[in-house]
Amino acid sequence: MAEHVILFTGPMGAGKTTAIRSLSEIEVVSTEANNSERHIVDKATTTVALDYGEILIDGEEKVRLYGIPGQKRFDFMWAILKKRAKGMILLVNSDAPDPIGQMLEFIDDFRELYDRGGVVVGVSRADVIAGPTLGDFSEALERTNPDLVIPVFTVDPRDRDQMEDVLLVLIANIEMRAMFGMTTAAAL
Amino acid sequence: MTVNANHVAGEPASVSMGFPVTVGWTHAAIAVFSVLRLNTPVNLTMHVEMHGPLLIDFRHHAFSWSTPLDQFPVDAVHTGLETEPTSADAPPFFELPGQDLDGLLWEMGINSFGGAAAYWLPKGERYKLTRWPNVTRHSHNLRQMKMLAVLGNTYASTSELATLAGVEEVEAQSLINALSLMRILSRSAEAPATAAAPETAAAKRKSLFARLRKRLGR
Ligand SMILES: Nc1nc2c(ncn2[C@@H]2O[C@H](COP(=O)(O)OP(=O)(O)OP(=O)(O)O)[C@@H](O)[C@H]2O)c(=O)[nH]1
Ligand SMILES: [Mg+2]
Repeated sequence: MAEHVILFTGPMGAGKTTAIRSLSEIEVVSTEANNSERHIVDKATTTVALDYGEILIDGEEKVRLYGIPGQKRFDFMWAILKKRAKGMILLVNSDAPDPIGQMLEFIDDFRELYDRGGVVVGVSRADVIAGPTLGDFSEALERTNPDLVIPVFTVDPRDRDQMEDVLLVLIANIEMRAMFGMTTAAAL
Repeated sequence: MTVNANHVAGEPASVSMGFPVTVGWTHAAIAVFSVLRLNTPVNLTMHVEMHGPLLIDFRHHAFSWSTPLDQFPVDAVHTGLETEPTSADAPPFFELPGQDLDGLLWEMGINSFGGAAAYWLPKGERYKLTRWPNVTRHSHNLRQMKMLAVLGNTYASTSELATLAGVEEVEAQSLINALSLMRILSRSAEAPATAAAPETAAAKRKSLFARLRKRLGR
C-alpha cells in the first residue's frame, strides 16, 4: 500500500493534536497526559508521545498524520519519521512568547525537510491575539533560505476546511517542485 | 498626484488618466492601485450600490464594510469613490482592527479587468510570488491553489502559468492581477523552470494532490 507520511510539529499548545483530529478519518491515537508545565502553557493536558491519524484514499493509499509532541521532538522515533516524511505542517501559535523564534527553532530541527520545500507554516490562535504579521513570519523564513517561498497562513486547527487547505497546499507545493525537478522525493 | 472622485466615478473615467472604461470592480482596482503607489497616507470611500459604503484605511492596511467578503458582489455597481488625504498621526479612518485589506484586494483583483491583463502589467513579463497569499482567509478554488504552487517555485508568464497549472489563460490572468494588486509578485525575464514531463493522463494519475482532493470531495 502506498503511504505518505505528514508530520505536524510546533510548540506546546500550537494545535497539533487538534489539527490531526480535524483531518483524521480514524479515531485519533492520542497520548495526552496531565500538563506539568502549566506555568509555561496553561492547558490541562499535553501530548507526551505522539498523535496519529489517517486519511485513506482508496483502499490502496494512505496519508499518515503524525503529531510530534511540543516537548519531545528529539525522540529516536522522530529521527526515523523525519527521513520518511513527505512533508511537514509546522504550527505556531500566535500567542506564544516568541512565535517567530519558535518557528525558526523547528525549522532548524527539520532543516532537511525544509530545504527541499516540504514545509507549510500555519499560524494558529491568531483569533486569540494579534501577534506578528504573516509578512513578519515570511521575512524571517526568507533570511534562512532566500531561494524558498514557504507558504505561511493563518489557520484555526479546529476548522477542518482550513486544515484541508493547508494539507492540499503542502502537497501541491511538493508535487510542483518535483515536477520542476527541484526536490528528491522522500524515500519510503 | 492627487486622486479624487472624478477619476473613478460611475461615469467613464477621465481620458487624461488613461483609465480603461469597464464595469464592475475594474475602476475600483485602478483607484486602489494608484493610491497604493502614491505611498502617501490616504483614506478611501467607495460607494457600492446596495452594499453600503466601503472604507479603506491604507495606513493600517484595513477596510471596513458591512458586506462580508464571502458574499463578495462580483457585479456590483459602483456609484462613486472619494479619497481623502490623512496624516501619519491622524486617528484611524474607522475603529481598528477592521478587516485585513489583503482579503479585499484578492477579491477585487480576481473580479476586475474581465480576464484581461491589469493595465499596469506589461505584456509577456514573468512573475514569482514573494510570499503566499493567506489562502485560508480568501475564497479560492484548487486551480488557484495549483497556480500559486507554480508561482511559489518559478517565474512564469501568464500563458506559461496557464500551461504549467493546466488552467485557462483568463484564470491565470485574474490571479496575476490579484497578486499584483496585493503587491506580492516579483518580476523577471528569467525563463521558467521546465517541467520534467507534460501533464499526461499518467502524470495526473500519479498526482496525490488530485487523488486527495477528490477524496476530500473538493
Ligand atoms: N481560539 C483558538 N483556539 C485554538 C486554536 N488552535 C488550537 N486551539 C486550542 O488550543 C488548545 C491547544 O491545542 P492542542 O491541539 O492541544 O495543542 P498541541 O500542539 O497538541 O499541544 P502539545 O501536545 O501540548 O504540544 C486546544 O484547546 C485547542 O482547541 C485557534 O486557532 N484558536
Ligand atoms: Mg498535542
